[in-house]
Amino acid sequence: MAGPLALALVLGLASLSFLMRAAGSFLPNLPSAVTARTGGLAPALLAALVAIQLTGPNGVIHLDVKVPAVLFAALLAALRAPFIVCVIGGAVVAALLRFVFHL
Amino acid sequence: MRAKWSMREILLAATPIAVAVFVFGASFGVLAVAARLPAWSVVLMSMLVFAGSAQFAALGVIAAGGSVLTAILAGALLNLRFIATGIAVAGSLPGGRLLRSLLAQLSIDESYAMSVRAGAPGPPDGRTLIVTGACLYVVWIAGTLMGALLGPVLGDPKRLGLDAAFPAGFVALLWPMLSGRHAVRCAIGGAAVALALAPFTPPGIPLAGAAVVGLWLAR
Repeated sequence: MAGPLALALVLGLASLSFLMRAAGSFLPNLPSAVTARTGGLAPALLAALVAIQLTGPNGVIHLDVKVPAVLFAALLAALRAPFIVCVIGGAVVAALLRFVFHL
Repeated sequence: MRAKWSMREILLAATPIAVAVFVFGASFGVLAVAARLPAWSVVLMSMLVFAGSAQFAALGVIAAGGSVLTAILAGALLNLRFIATGIAVAGSLPGGRLLRSLLAQLSIDESYAMSVRAGAPGPPDGRTLIVTGACLYVVWIAGTLMGALLGPVLGDPKRLGLDAAFPAGFVALLWPMLSGRHAVRCAIGGAAVALALAPFTPPGIPLAGAAVVGLWLAR
């Protein structure tokens, strides 16, 4: 990625994140019914990201090495493996399948 | 009610978290460089954003060929929860609004959780947030830097399965969150809406739809 584009990515995300963290000091009176709902954001977005990464542009599951990689990572996560173990485990499954089956 | 945590207690509790954050930072650095982001921008992102899951999400979009705008949207939507944690800690931080809004930048999931634990049963403890957050900030950048330097040594990202590392990482971040009925509902709803929207909306909209569903199903 070209430098200016990377800088735009960093500054764009950084400024929005800054504003979100700073907001609490300026608007402390939002009803808790509203703020409590933000707990649902992370699971919904992460699940959506997984779904998008595993499907093709037509919304149907795209069967490649990512699918078994994700299943293996989920298994490791269910066994309470640390984050890095899940990531490396998923990558190793994908790399092995590619190496063995030339996918 | 017990006395507040001593500095030693705070640092002891923060140590294992700091190790985990360092490793998380290193894996982010490796993957970001593999996704062809310049190394300086990767470290700069960790310095200015300081939010693992958001940076990871933004990077996942870039690595999958998405646009910069979609990547920013993905990261920013994940960070919306910091509005809520910012409100929760604002009253516990010292100084006027300006100083408090700067100190609130030290909130990440881990430092916020520690401040809640240290302050229980009362409001979050501001000192724990500042000390833990500052430690984790340094460690996060150091880990990212190490990963960004290590990344190019590793070689062809696809041969190493690094493209699969993103969905694997998203699953690993997601799994521990699925402890309650509400969270499971949000995850299923978010994925379903994203998949339903993906075929006929521009990139970014499926994620925005998932965010709306997450907020809606959260309680």
